[in-house]
Parts: sequence; structure tokens; C-alpha cells
Amino acid sequence: MGKCDSKKHPGALSVAAVVAAFAVALGLTACGGGGGGIEGGGEKEAPKVKLEGKPSGSLTISNWPLYIDKGTVPAFEKATAVKVKYIEDINSNEEFFNKMQPLLSRGESGGRSIFVLADYMVAKMHQLGYLQELDKSALPNVERNLSASLKHPGFDPNRSYTVPWQSGMTGLIVNTQKAPDARSICDLFDPKYKGKVDMLNEVREAVPLTMKCEGVDPNQASEADWMKAIEKIKAAAESGQIRRFTGNDYARDLTSGDAVAVMGWSGDAVQLQEDNPNLEWRMPEEGCMLWSEDMVIPVGAPNPTAAEAWMDFVYEPKVQANIAEYVNYVTPVEGVKPVLAKRNPALAENQLIFPSASFTKRCSATPVIEGEEEQKVLKAFNAVLNG
Amino acid sequence: MRRRIVPYFLLGPGTIWLVVFFVVPLFYMAKLSLNAGVLGENLHFNWQWSNYSEALSAYDTQFFRSFLYAGTATLLALLISYPLAYTIAFKAGRWRNALLFAVIAPFFTTYLIRTIAWETILSDESPVTELLHTIGLAPSGHVLATGPAVIAGLTYNFLPFMILPIYASLERIDEGLIEAAKDLYASAAQAFWRVTLPLSAPGIVAGTLLTFIPAAGDYVNAQFLGGVGNRMIGNVIQSLYLSQADYPSAAALSFVLMALIMIAVVVYIRFAGSEALMGEEAQ
Repeated sequence: MGKCDSKKHPGALSVAAVVAAFAVALGLTACGGGGGGIEGGGEKEAPKVKLEGKPSGSLTISNWPLYIDKGTVPAFEKATAVKVKYIEDINSNEEFFNKMQPLLSRGESGGRSIFVLADYMVAKMHQLGYLQELDKSALPNVERNLSASLKHPGFDPNRSYTVPWQSGMTGLIVNTQKAPDARSICDLFDPKYKGKVDMLNEVREAVPLTMKCEGVDPNQASEADWMKAIEKIKAAAESGQIRRFTGNDYARDLTSGDAVAVMGWSGDAVQLQEDNPNLEWRMPEEGCMLWSEDMVIPVGAPNPTAAEAWMDFVYEPKVQANIAEYVNYVTPVEGVKPVLAKRNPALAENQLIFPSASFTKRCSATPVIEGEEEQKVLKAFNAVLNG
Repeated sequence: MRRRIVPYFLLGPGTIWLVVFFVVPLFYMAKLSLNAGVLGENLHFNWQWSNYSEALSAYDTQFFRSFLYAGTATLLALLISYPLAYTIAFKAGRWRNALLFAVIAPFFTTYLIRTIAWETILSDESPVTELLHTIGLAPSGHVLATGPAVIAGLTYNFLPFMILPIYASLERIDEGLIEAAKDLYASAAQAFWRVTLPLSAPGIVAGTLLTFIPAAGDYVNAQFLGGVGNRMIGNVIQSLYLSQADYPSAAALSFVLMALIMIAVVVYIRFAGSEALMGEEAQ
């Protein structure tokens, strides 16, 4: 740069300006993550949350859309004097991860202090060293009220870096008038419903559910089983059986009548019923997929003290009851049922919020696929999606 | 001397803009397209030219489909736009401004909302679909989530980009020339084919380019109006970037798309004649 400036003749000014702009741009993009930022990876030691006195200041939370009631954030702000920026910018585990990864690999969280992501995704982020270990001293409610069945998952045996947000079931959402007999995943492949079926675009749900129709246990499945199920989906896509692959946007097709039976998430059905009372979530005859999504604190998160205060706050049964009443997913917090029983007895009996062991007996946990096998499966599945 | 600097100053903002937001990102994308590995798992620069051949052979269907959809949409848009622009330019009289406003009015709503509105228009139980079904144009009973729906969306969304340049070139035509043709015993049809149409060629060329180029790279219409088997190359690039974290392949595909469009445009301009694009200035 110094060299450019030393030349002093007319016209050089604009040339210098262009060169300077170029240099600045190079600098900017280099910092912006185009270059070295996205490389790296490998196992890293996770840093631990450092608590600082009482929660205060501001807190940014990233969550999925329609995943909380309207009252909980203001109630937390009132109780703690923390100012919350609650953003619903997560629409897909992969997409969110791939957007954040360049930042996380440099130890930044994009100003966010909490993410809510699926078990398999937080496990992957932990392996990459992108998450902080929690300080349990600020989480007494979580210690006390976390549902026993969720206390020791395989990917985080002591819940040292995750706190469950909600759990749920993936099964069928059916229009009871137009597809009264759709009761199994196999029925989605019945030509009777040709062109009226949506399938999830999440590989870890659509493919295992299809395996269940084939009589394969997703948690025992070999790579060949994955590929066989993907082939089945592919054939159905090519024959026009499957209308389209969707995420939450199956809601549109169901309410407009364009789809009559889809793979869908348990909490959604209750909200969809307000638009169309004929919609119903059904436990597939083959069983469902069970999943959980967890709150995590990423590396570089500002104000982890407030973040842990939030985690603990939503584990207050009374607070959680409001969330459960709104989202209708399986709550991970003990002590919510009696609160809801007093308020709304029907809800306390709802199998979607408080599923009994017999209700979910044929369901499977999200299967683990990693490494090369994951790459192959993802590639094959995406090839079907991109048809 | 002072005068010589002025053009540089005038070019300055545009140049800086292009360099910062086009040349530099393009350079990084080119570098990325030659990386090996995927995001988070040892992504590194490796002169990996195979990204190009692999991307092209894996997604040739989607490339072909994109050009087919975009080409059909451009042709439809031209067939709809020309008579419309002609009417506005020559026959609309005092309605001219109102009609022009109507052409531009959709821009007051965002692209996304307009596309989503078409989901409702074409949904299975809508009167439009039922009508199409009755007259035999939609034998399967559904239009939404099919290729024709994507083409319809593309045509609709890019229509103003076709109408406006054609209108502008028609509007500049000296009506005296058409009168002269008629004085020389040309029929109305002959006057149109030999005078009006050639004079409006710059508008047609500009309009087709403004429609075809963005339509070929579009992914919104296929996302909302398409179903299985209707994904365009834009959707593939988006999915490679965001869901598969395969940045190198996505970058390579972007370059291939850019190159193919460039080739198509060059061939087209060769064929149409560069004076058609530039107008009188090039002659």
C-alpha cells in the first residue's frame, strides 16, 4: 500500500483508490470466512462456561419457529432483568450448522448464546469442539426436574453440555376424511394415495421410518438397509407417488388438501387442527421415530451466565407447563403433568405430550450414522431429493 | 489533465462496487471450487478439477431441466409480452400510463409472496386446477408440484422484464416509418414484419436475456411450485451449500452454470446480431 501512495502524478489517485478498495475487499473477504476460516475440524477440548455473578445484560437465543409460547420470554425478562433477543432462525439442523460453521470454527457464535438442535447435531458439534461444558451449579431446576429417561443419553452420558428443550415423535399426519385408512408408513406407498403424499426431507427420519415399513430395525440397520430404503423412496418419488419432500411446509399441503397423508411431527398436528379439524397425528403401526432437541451454549457465546439462567428457568414446571401447552411436544420436565392436570385435564391425558410406555413401545431412537457411511447415505438421499 | 480524471471518477463507484461484490467473491468461489473435502472435514485447496467433471455428470439432468424450463418460460413470456407491449405502445391511447402501471404493480409485492400466492392459485382444489382438469389439460388432477407449474411461475415472475424493454423499443419507433411503408403499398402485416418487428428487435433481445438468465438460475419457483423431479440447478446448488456442506461442488456448479449461460448468450447474440442488442449505436 505504501508503494502505491508514493507515486504522485495525476490519475494515480483513482488508481490508488481502486487498488486500495481491492486490498480492503481482499482483507474483508479473508476475514469473512471465504479463505482459511472454514477449514479445520478434528477433536478439541471443550471450554467450560464461566459464570459471573447474577444474570444480567442481554441474551440471544436461536430456536425453531413456533417452538415456544408467547409468555415465557417476557416472564424470564421480568424475573431476571435480562433482555432477551429470541430469534426463530433454525429451519433445518444441517442448514443451521452449515451457516454457523465458519463462525464456530473461529470460536465465534454470531452473537448467539443458545442454539436448539437435534441430538445427533449437538453430538457432532461437541466432537468438533464448538460447544461449552455447562456449569451445573447454576442449573438446580434441571438437575431436579429433568425426566429420568433423558438423564443419560449415549452422546452425552452426564448431560455435561446439553439440556433437552423438547422431545417428540415422528409418525403420520393424516386427513381423517380423505385418508381414513392410512395407519402405517407402508400405507404412504399405497397407490391409492398417489400424488397426495409428502415425505420428510430429513434423512434421519424419512429413511428409518421407511425401514420400519420394510421390517428393519433402524438401530440395527446396515449400510445396505439404508440404501435399500432409499431405493424404495426413490421408486416412489419417480412413480409420482410422493408429491414432494418437505420440512414443516407439509402444513401448507395438508391444510389445502393437496396432501392427505404425510410423515410429520407430533406437535404440529395439534396446531394444524385449528386450521383443519380433520387433521390428526397417528402413531404408525410400525412405530414412530423418537427424537430430542437440546439447548447448547456454543463457543464464544456472550453472557453464558444469562444463558444458563434461561435453561434453568424453563425447567421450572410452571414455566414449562406454558410451553408444553402451546407446543404440544413431549416435555422433558418432570412435574409438568400435575400443573397441566389442574389447568386443562384433557391435555394432561394427551399421549402426544405425555406418551405412555405402551404407546411408544414400537418406536425407535434416531439412529447413529457417521463418517463415510453418513456421506454415502446423505449423497444417495440428496440425489433422490434433487431428482 | 483535469478532464482526463473525470471519467475515472465517474467510473470509480461502479468499479469499486463490482470489484468488492463481484470480482473478489468470484475469485474466492473459483478457489473454493478447486478445494477437496467437505466443510468441517479437512477442506483444503488442491487444484481439484474433478469437482467440475463430477458435478457436471452428477447433475446433467438438472442442468438440462433448468435450460428447458427457462427457455420455455422465456418463449411464453415473449408470446405474451409482445402483443401486450404493442397494444400499450400503439393502441392504448390515454390508458397507456395506467396499463404500464399495471405491468409494474406486481413489483410492489415481494417476489416470494407472489410465488407463494401461485401455490394457492394452482392448488389441487382450486377452481383454476378444476377447470384445467375438466378441459383435459391436467389429466392427473394436479398442477401444483409439476414441471408446468414451475414454468408458469417463472413466466409470470419474469414477465415485466420482457414487457418493459419491448415496450421501450416499440415506443421509440417513428410512426412515420410505418406510414411510409403503407404509402409504398405494404399491407398492415407486411409493414409489421418488415418495419415494426425489426425495429423492436433490440427490445426483444434485451427482454429475452433479462428473462432467460435469471430464470435459468432461479430456485424459488421450483422450491414452491415444483415437486419431486422438478428441481432446477439453483436448488441443487442451494442444497449442496446448505444441507450437504459440499462447498467445492456447489462452487463448481455455479461456475458451470455461469459458463453455460455465457455460451448460450454469446450464441444467441451472434444469431440475433449484436446491432439488435445495441440498437442503432452499433450500426
